[in-house]
Amino acid sequence: MSLSSRIVAGSAVLALLVAAAFGVLVFAVTSLDDATKRERHAKAVTAQTLQLEKLVLDLDTGLRGFVLTGKTDLLRPWTSASRALPSKRHAFLKLASTTPEERRRAEGLVSSIDQYVSDYATPVVEIARATPAASRTDIVRAEGARRLAQIRKRFADFLGTENAVSAARTSAAQRHSDEAIAAAVAGLILSAVLITGFGLYLARSIARPVKEVADGAARLAGGDLTTRLEPHGIGEVEELTNAFNQMAERLEASRRELEEQNERLRESEQAKSELVSVVAHELRTPLASVLGFTSVLLQRDVGEEQRREYLEIIEAQGRRLSALVNDFLDVQRLEEGQLSIASELVDVGRVVREQSELFAGQSPKHLLDVSLPPTPLPVRGDSNRLAQVVANLLSNAIKYSPSGGVVRVAGKRNGTVVRVTVQDEGVGIAAEVQREIFGKFARGHAADEGIEGTGLGLAISRSLVEAHGGQISFESTKGRGSTFWFELPTASAQ
Amino acid sequence: MTAQAETTAAKTVLICEDDSNLRTLVRLALGESYRFFEAPDGPSALELTRRIQPDLIVLDLMLPGRSGFEVLSDLRKGDNAETPVIVISAWSHSDEAAYEAGANRFVAKPFDPDELRDAAVELLGNDGRHN
Repeated sequence: MSLSSRIVAGSAVLALLVAAAFGVLVFAVTSLDDATKRERHAKAVTAQTLQLEKLVLDLDTGLRGFVLTGKTDLLRPWTSASRALPSKRHAFLKLASTTPEERRRAEGLVSSIDQYVSDYATPVVEIARATPAASRTDIVRAEGARRLAQIRKRFADFLGTENAVSAARTSAAQRHSDEAIAAAVAGLILSAVLITGFGLYLARSIARPVKEVADGAARLAGGDLTTRLEPHGIGEVEELTNAFNQMAERLEASRRELEEQNERLRESEQAKSELVSVVAHELRTPLASVLGFTSVLLQRDVGEEQRREYLEIIEAQGRRLSALVNDFLDVQRLEEGQLSIASELVDVGRVVREQSELFAGQSPKHLLDVSLPPTPLPVRGDSNRLAQVVANLLSNAIKYSPSGGVVRVAGKRNGTVVRVTVQDEGVGIAAEVQREIFGKFARGHAADEGIEGTGLGLAISRSLVEAHGGQISFESTKGRGSTFWFELPTASAQ
Repeated sequence: MTAQAETTAAKTVLICEDDSNLRTLVRLALGESYRFFEAPDGPSALELTRRIQPDLIVLDLMLPGRSGFEVLSDLRKGDNAETPVIVISAWSHSDEAAYEAGANRFVAKPFDPDELRDAAVELLGNDGRHN
């Protein structure tokens, strides 16, 4: 359940609780109001009853005075009471009809009054008017007293019942009201406790995690990218924490990447400055011969034979300079991916033969043993670039076997590839530098051993072989010599 | 010293350089009045020094076997602490290191043959031609 749903649900429950408490309070007030109304009504009923009773007493007083004395003016209370009775009777019945039971009691009372009037009082007054003596009997008097006592008892009963019912109702209403107020107060206290609890819950589940995120963000802004938050919280807060951690993760990763990039840049800068240094050194050595012999030729008298020898040295060193410059340019183009490779049908066997012949005459200490099949070794590629690779391997084989020996060069078809192998009996490559031997400026221990070179030949060769879709590798033992080989896909017969 | 040089045989110069063209060039630069010995690598340079006790050593820094610095440091530690040494190197910024290692002169490649000859004359007291 998400945090916002929880907040909405919690708020709704609390609102309902508060509303219920207020509802109960309203009920209590209504009950009190009701009780007050009932009391007022009970008082009114009592007043009406008493007035009705007074009318009955007036009737009786008038009746007895008239019967005893025969004087008409003593009949006045009777006359006025008889006149007032119907409306009073009606008003009383109307008022005392809150419940059917009350109405029944009221009607009982009223009918006993009616009976008294119709069955006794009216006939007695009639008799007293006609024959006063006939009405002045003990029987009549006793009957009147009995009936009046009966009516008065009924009045007393009615009032008693009315008071009892009213008191019972009032106390019930009072009790309900008290209970309702107690319930409402309890409800409000409970609401207050729950609202406080809900506030604490919100503080715990929102304010505290948000504060933690804010602190974390401050630490992050301060540069501590390892900052992570405890993964707790609910719903949206948990999402916030997770999002924060992901952001920190990304930031840290990208900084790491930047640092690595920087490190690579630094290394590449260093390699570049080493290249400049190596280039300067490698160019100065042949330049020393070119300039030195030129100035000897210019400043001194030398014989014809020597002059020729010096000029040949100058030419050879000039060529070496040119080759070095080409190597550097090749590396530059390979690095920038600008080296163009032709795609023609090339007989690798022929390339190997031509290069071997070129190198065979260069070093009298080395014997080149060339082994090639009678049939062509066709590949698709650039014959000049492939010649460059073979020349580089042959040149290395000779350079790195300064004591001389046999250099075995072989070309053969090996399944779907053409494989060229160049094996020497030279110094070999120490195990610790074998891994980086194809890297730029990697010269193994050549510098210590005084072997010249730019450290670029194998890097160029590998790039060229790979550009032809082939691969190049070697096996070597320090002190025993090396075997370099490369393989190119055989061109399909045409 | 001058008297000794005039009365004894030509002074000996050991050329320690792996490039044969440059060894030839050093000979040409110094002139024909010296006796030259050549070493193409570090170990043979030390071996020849012990044997012939040259009057001057022309030393390349990039030597096979042992670098010029190692050769120089071995020389200065041994019996040849005083033998004059001219360092020739294509590492043009190695001059300070070469002087610290005990070189008497530093000549950067490519060099002017006359500059090398002048350095040798300065160190040996004459050019050897008036023998």
